[in-house]
Parts: sequence; structure tokens; C-alpha cells
Amino acid sequence: MHSSRKSFFALAGAGAFAAALPRAASAADTIRVGMIPDAGATQVSIDEKAPLREFLARHMQRLVDLIIPTNYNATVEALGNGSLDFAYLGGLTYLQAHARYGVIPLVQRVSDRAFHSLFITQTDSPLKALADLKGKTFAFGDVNSTSGHLMPYAALQAAGIDADADLKFRYTGSHPATLKAVEAGTVAAGAMDESVYASMMASGQADKNKIRVFYRTPPFLDYVWVARKDLAPSEQFAFATSFLALTEAKNKPILDILRGTKFVRANDGEYNELRRIATKLKML
Amino acid sequence: MNVLNLAIPVWQTLAMAGAGTLIAVALGAPLAAYIAARAPGARAIYLALGALRAIPDLTLAIFAVVVVGIGPAAGVTALAVFYTAMVGKMFAELLGTVSRPVLESLEATGASKFSVVLFGALPSASTDLLTFGAYAFECAIRASVVVGAVGAGGIGTEIVGSINALDYRRVAVLIAVLVGIVWVVDWFGAQVRRQPLLALAIVPLGVAGLIGSKPVVFAAAHAVKTFAAMWPPVLDARALAALPVAIFETLEIAVVGTGLAALFAIQLGLIAARRFAPAPVAYAVRRVLDVLRSVPEVVVGLILVVAVGIGPLAGALALGIHSAGVLGKLFAESVENVPVAALDALAATGAGSVAIATYGGVPLALGPIVEHTLFRLEWNLRTATVVGMIGAGGIGQALFNSQQTFHYHEMLAYVLITWGFVLSAEALGKRFASTLAP
Repeated sequence: MHSSRKSFFALAGAGAFAAALPRAASAADTIRVGMIPDAGATQVSIDEKAPLREFLARHMQRLVDLIIPTNYNATVEALGNGSLDFAYLGGLTYLQAHARYGVIPLVQRVSDRAFHSLFITQTDSPLKALADLKGKTFAFGDVNSTSGHLMPYAALQAAGIDADADLKFRYTGSHPATLKAVEAGTVAAGAMDESVYASMMASGQADKNKIRVFYRTPPFLDYVWVARKDLAPSEQFAFATSFLALTEAKNKPILDILRGTKFVRANDGEYNELRRIATKLKML
Repeated sequence: MNVLNLAIPVWQTLAMAGAGTLIAVALGAPLAAYIAARAPGARAIYLALGALRAIPDLTLAIFAVVVVGIGPAAGVTALAVFYTAMVGKMFAELLGTVSRPVLESLEATGASKFSVVLFGALPSASTDLLTFGAYAFECAIRASVVVGAVGAGGIGTEIVGSINALDYRRVAVLIAVLVGIVWVVDWFGAQVRRQPLLALAIVPLGVAGLIGSKPVVFAAAHAVKTFAAMWPPVLDARALAALPVAIFETLEIAVVGTGLAALFAIQLGLIAARRFAPAPVAYAVRRVLDVLRSVPEVVVGLILVVAVGIGPLAGALALGIHSAGVLGKLFAESVENVPVAALDALAATGAGSVAIATYGGVPLALGPIVEHTLFRLEWNLRTATVVGMIGAGGIGQALFNSQQTFHYHEMLAYVLITWGFVLSAEALGKRFASTLAP
């Protein structure tokens, strides 16, 4: 505490950038919570999630720092070297983090237990089924995304399309970017997360008249909140119970930030099917 | 637009550059003195610094994240390593150029090698050292934006995140802020050249930056384990088959980018040359060139990857746009320096200013123009590997994809290939330089 106070004054002396102080000064006893950048990562998106941070700080009686790394890999490595205590991961990212660093699954949204990827195209496009995609341009999200890459890739394979040979595809890096690429006609079609799709449609960020869904994958297990391996069980428990206590009646703004309605416990065994698919496609 | 959420990334960018420069000078200067004193192993250290400098800063940042976690500490670490190598190498060369008689007279007094460097070379080179320190800071500002693109924080991270969040207005604001910062830092550099002691102003910024970007973790044991697990480098049959194409794409990005840049820079350079264009026009074009120069290739690339799609075209255009700014300014200076008499002779024939510029200015300045272009090509061969990492194709993209998908054996192979590629480009550049030297 003493050294952080010293650094507080040193920084304050440095002058004009006092804005950075609370973050820098409190680093020592702060809980660091990361989220994969599935919808972009900026200071704006962190500010928008302020109610979530305050909620966690109140429930856990600790200072909470919310961090959105620029990519999925950095989020996993941060759990590995201890620079993040908790993180929100996608299904595939979870499997990677679990295999490499033994992260512990805590909670997930009810919707994550039966998640879907959507294949979208322009309203006036002739595409009707996955088989029609042969030879077309296509957008996946991040290369490490479950609903933006792994599961759509598997669905294409099941429909007799080898993405590597039959599609001219690219990675947009995020679900919103995939939607925008399809909306602008840069690609004939794309695959994305259903919850991001729903929230962009609801908020008007996407044009309802330009986009339609032409295929929905079978359900799979996706996002999960995890703790790093050697975090104290009491901390893990406090974090998990904070999420399990969220109700629509009391915590609507926070649940909206999390794009969910209710949280339940998560466990590793349920990811075996996803693990099998990821291993088969050499993504794990 | 909330000012506070801009202040944090701006501060992080300045902090990373200041702290990185400070560490680089603190480590690089003693190394340089050691090399200049020709102490045992000096040659080996000098070569090692050169080899270290050939690892692109973006690659260093990826490794730094494993050691000190995400955030500005990773950026500071990457910049500190990269610029220690640069400062050490350049300082050693500067100390080596101090006139021999001064040093020999000191040696004659029986002074040791180190006191000769400390009391002889160091004071005479101190102005150059301060100016070069400020120059390193100017470079580090741009580099801190670049390493931000892989998660080190600051403006770079904000630009990547805003692009992914489709917040293009914020991207535009961030780029405007970046241009402003680079402009102020360039101005500061110019002041330092006039009054070298001003360079010491970087010290408090660097100290504040060091405190502000204190790493959250220092996972040394974890890092050793992670790096060791990357060994040995492996490319499977599929990756090996794709390797020639990847290397060709990287070459293509550099060559096409430099070619495009030279093409535009000749036109822009002539208009920016005060001798050929009306003053207000020359002034306006110079400011445009300044803006092109202030936005790093990686940032231009991030935007172009969205606009024209992932692949080498985006990379070539990114290098082309930035280099056009750099070359345009250099070309303008080159054509301004051609002998006046030759141009007057052309004017006497009744030639207009376009004709004078085309038939007088360009041919007479051809030597420096070719030279600048070749130096830029060397720089762009290195940068082509870096823009690849943000989706512009080639070897850089292969490296980034393997890193993102946790194929670390493959990533290490690409890191080594990139390193060899950059070293070869530098060797080629040196060969050109010695051929061109009179």
C-alpha cells in the first residue's frame, strides 16, 4: 500500500494525465477481470461496462479492473502468467486455456448452454443453403472464435463444403465486423454469434432490410467465465456467486451488458463434444 | 466525445515511449561506452545489438506479453529491448567518431580505456548523444502506437479496438490525435537540435511512464517455461509448401509499396519544392506530406485491411502511403538542392516551371532520389513483415495466425525466418550504400 501511495504522488507530480491514476495506483490489491474482444476493445467499451465493474466490486468487496485485450490469444496468455484473475472466454478459447493453463470454469449464461451460429447473407442474395456457398466469398470472425469460426467451419464440413478449398474466406476479427462486411456486400456471406446479431439488430447498428439469416447451426456449448488455476477458492466462490445472484428484475443493466438473462454454473465435462470437434479440426 | 477516455490511451502511448527511451538510454549508453572502449567482447556485443535490432518491435511485444502480462508494461519492455539495441549501436558509432587526437592526448597521460571514453569521447559527443536520444524518442512514439496493436495499450490498442467495434468516428479522432502528438514531438525534436539540453525533458516523462506502467506480473519462471515449450521451431508440410508464396508476398508488399511511394513522391516532392511551386501550394503539400509521415504504416494498414480486404494489397498500399510522405519530403529537399545555374539556363530558353522541374530538377536530383528510394526499400522490407501481422499477408500474417492459434512451434519458425529476412535486407542495404558511396 505504501509503495502504491508513493507512486500516486510521483504520478500526480507528473501532471496533466491524472486520468490514468486510479488504474495505476490501485494495481496491487485489485482483481483483474478480462473479456475476450468479441465485439471490439476500446476505452469506450470499457466505460460502457462500468456498471458491471461496480457490481463486481460491491459484491466482492474489492477493487476491480476490467480489461479487454486486443485479441483472444493475449487473453489466454494473461490467464497463464497471472496478469488476469478472471476472464470471459469463448468455448474454443476456454478449451485452449484449459489445456494450456488449467483454468477453472465458473459460470455461464443459460443461453451459452445451447448457443447457435448464424450464417447470414444479403436480403436479395440467392443463397438458400450451406451447399450454395461453394466458390463464394465468405467471412469468419476471429480465428479463435467458437461461433465465428470453429462451429461454422464444422457445419460447412457437415454440409460437404471444405472451407479451405471451396470458399474464398477471410477473418474479420470480430462478429460486428463480419455483419458489416456482409451488409456492405464485401463478402457473399458470413458466420457470426447469434447474441451479437440479436443485439445489433435490436440497437439499430445493423440494417434489418439488408441482412437475412439463411442457416442456423445445431446447438453447442459456448462462452464461459473462468478463474486462473491458482486463484484462492474463496475468490472463485465470491466471483461465481456474484453472477449467480443476477436477476432480470434487479440487475437488468448488467445483464444487458452481458447479453444474457440468467447465469448458471459451468463445468468442464460438458465441453467434451466441443473438444472433440476442435481436436478433429486441428484447432486445439 | 468523452475527453477522459482519450486521455488514458494518449498517456499510455507517451508513457510507453518515454519509459522505453529512458531504459534504452540507461542501458544503451554504458553498452556503447564499453564498445567504444574496445573492451573484451566489445565486437560481440556490437554484433548482438545489431542482431537484436533486426527483430521487429511487434514480434518483441508478443513475447513481452508472456513475461509481463498485457498492458503498457509489455509495450515498455518491447520498446526498451528494441531501442536499447538501436541506442547502443548508434551511441557506440557516435563515440567512435570523436576525433582521434583528443583521445590520443588523453591516452598519452596514461588514462585507462574507460576514462578516455568517459572524459574524452563522452563530452565531445554529448550533443550528438542528446540529439540522438530525442530522435529515439520520436521513433519510439510511433513504435508505441505500433506495439499497441498487439495489446500493449495506448492509442494503437484503441485504434484496433475501435476498428473491430466499427466505431470509425473514433478511429478518425484517434488518428487526428496521433498526428497532433507526432507533430508536437517532431517540433520538440527540432528544438533539441537547437538546444540539446532540452532532451533531458524526456527524463521526467520517462520516470512517470515507468511508474505508471509498472507490470502487473513479472512471470519469469512462466516465461522461461513458455518460451522453452516453443522450441524446436517446426513447419509442417502444408506450411513449408506455402512458405515461398508467403516470402514472395512480403517482398511484393515492400517492392510495390516502395514503387508506388516513389511514383507519388516525385510529383508531390516537386510541388512541395519551394523553387517550382507557388509558396502557398508548396506549404499545403508539405503539410499533407507531414500527415502521411505521421501515421505509422501499421495504422494505415489496419484501416486498409478493412477497406480493401485482408492480403498483400492492403500492405503494399499502407507502405506506399506512409513512404510517399517520407520520400516526398526528401525528394523536395533533393530538387531544391540542385544547382541554380542549370535551372536558370532552362528558364532562359522560355521553359515554364513544370518543364523546368521535369527536365531540370528531376534529372539533376536523380542521384539522391534513387538513393533515398533504395534506403526506403530496405526499411520497407523490414516493415512488410510487420504489416503482415495485422492482416496484410505474407510471412508476417503467417506468424500472427500461428501465434493466435497457439501453434507456437510454427510461430517460432516464422520468427526466425522473419529475422533472417530482415538481416538479409539490411546486408543488402549496406551493399547498396557502399556501392553508392563516392
